[in-house]
Amino acid sequence: MASLDATTLTTPFGGVERGIGRWGRDYVSMLHWHLASLRIWLMTIAVVQVLSGVGFVLGISLFFSHIPVSAALFVTTGVPVINLLIVGLILGPQLVAQQRTAGSYEYLRTLPISRSVTAAAWYTVCLFTGLPAMVVSLLVGQLRYDLPLHISPMIVPAVLLTSLAGTMLGYALAHAISAPMVTQLVSQLLIFIIFGFVPILYPITQMPAWLADLNWWFPFRHMAVVVRAALTTSPDAAVPTAYAVIGVWTVVAAGLAGWALGRRP
Amino acid sequence: MRVPPAVAEGSDARGTPGDASEDNRRAVTTPPDAWTFRVDDLVKRFGTLAANDGITLRVEPGEVYGLLGPNGAGKSTLVKQTIGLLKPTSGSITLGEHDLVADPDAARQLCSYLPQAQMPIEAFRVHEAIELAGRIRGADMTRVRRRTAELIDGLELGEWRNTLGTRLSGGVKRLVGFCMATVSPGHLVILDEPTNDVDPLRRRLLWDEIRGLGAQGCSVLLVTHNVLEAEKAVDRLALIASGRLVAEGTPSSMKAADRNQMRLQVMLAPGAETPDPPAWSGSAVRVGNNLVTTIAEADASSGIAWAAGLIDAGVAEEYALGATSLEDAYIRLTSDIPTDGLHGEP
Repeated sequence: MASLDATTLTTPFGGVERGIGRWGRDYVSMLHWHLASLRIWLMTIAVVQVLSGVGFVLGISLFFSHIPVSAALFVTTGVPVINLLIVGLILGPQLVAQQRTAGSYEYLRTLPISRSVTAAAWYTVCLFTGLPAMVVSLLVGQLRYDLPLHISPMIVPAVLLTSLAGTMLGYALAHAISAPMVTQLVSQLLIFIIFGFVPILYPITQMPAWLADLNWWFPFRHMAVVVRAALTTSPDAAVPTAYAVIGVWTVVAAGLAGWALGRRP
Repeated sequence: MRVPPAVAEGSDARGTPGDASEDNRRAVTTPPDAWTFRVDDLVKRFGTLAANDGITLRVEPGEVYGLLGPNGAGKSTLVKQTIGLLKPTSGSITLGEHDLVADPDAARQLCSYLPQAQMPIEAFRVHEAIELAGRIRGADMTRVRRRTAELIDGLELGEWRNTLGTRLSGGVKRLVGFCMATVSPGHLVILDEPTNDVDPLRRRLLWDEIRGLGAQGCSVLLVTHNVLEAEKAVDRLALIASGRLVAEGTPSSMKAADRNQMRLQVMLAPGAETPDPPAWSGSAVRVGNNLVTTIAEADASSGIAWAAGLIDAGVAEEYALGATSLEDAYIRLTSDIPTDGLHGEP
């Protein structure tokens, strides 16, 4: 029989540990947990992300014999948004749905880790699984179409906020919807909507006015605005509003996810 | 049956985590009763159904406390309220001075939990999953690695140490889950059906480890259907049915009503009609081809003669006569409870 040393207890002398020191230590542990959980799929996810990004960028030239630079620029600067959303918004909820089905979801909720730590660690994973594909997509677009890209420092907040908003939206979907089948359906529906009915890869002027107006209330169109503005020199007066709308969605989604995770029926 | 020192001595000085070693005696200075686990008048309703209906119990540090009961009795509901997954309708759950209902964050830090479902370790190597679980519980990595090695040795899991979770059998995965829950155990360790899928040899090792947790001062709340094995592992147990605690005590006290009784088990031939039990036996229960009844010790020779007669007549193939077990008490205590009154566990 193994001998147990009581000093390995989490809180040997009765105090419940709280504070920033514990937060930092737990963040590293949960980052390790998320990465190890995905290790079988991490390479596959990265490859699929790169292939899908490059596929969008190059695929447009297969549809038309001549691609105007402005059109190629629009697609190439829209693809990074897709890259940044895929893991957090689409894959994340599906993973949680699987955990619910397998019965392991409750165990993960009983770990002595705060909700903000788990969310921050997952956000880190989503961000860094989207970045390589984003960089490769931009490089391929630049090489294929000789685009007038101009990357400004604003790319940093644009990427960070876009990925954060997508991750928090996915997090809210994953934890607020308790039926795994519904979560799977909603995430599938989101793919369909984002690719088909959100002006990320094509200009909003090509949409019916009512659909353009409807898109204003959702964050995805605004994500394309802030990312595209940070990758090109063209000034866009809509950028401040876009940041505000994405920020509101991020806060609301994070609040909803926090409520869902803390809920005790 | 081992009784925790604190309880056996009738002293206020409860076993505290670590009082088994010199080092730990130096380190642990918790006051008496500092880590007693208390559930008081706990009620949990789902609509009109009472999954827990006024449960009160107390587990001392160092004690292995079994929660037994039929499916849907309310055991898992009690556990989920303790670990912060459900909120009681009324009543209290405390661990020492900590109110686990009001402070679920404290509950998660102070309690370790092995759920009934398998752990999500498909992508982890065995030692990695255990070590990471210890790290997540905030323990020092040197100690976690040492304890991981001890658990792997203790449960004879060495051949799977570097195996990925996807390649593990259900039983081995269950044992790895146990290691994850106890690599850095909280003051209260909650084990929900820890022996599910585990082979008989390692089940014995697992019970040793559970006893070891109690011996070192952890309170262990053990939910199980395995009545016969629980009898050997628990200090005290509670029988829950229809959301209520219907009996509580040591295994010996639970069996007191069966004192001077023996269990006669007859393995009937396949397809044989159930023979009428002798008038001097207790009520008989047939499960499959097993016919079980109780008889007074004084009737042992008559019982053997009756069973041997059934074999001679070709009705039975073999029989066994032995001491009554906790299972007999369990059946007796739950037989009066109408099953249609049992409430579903969410």
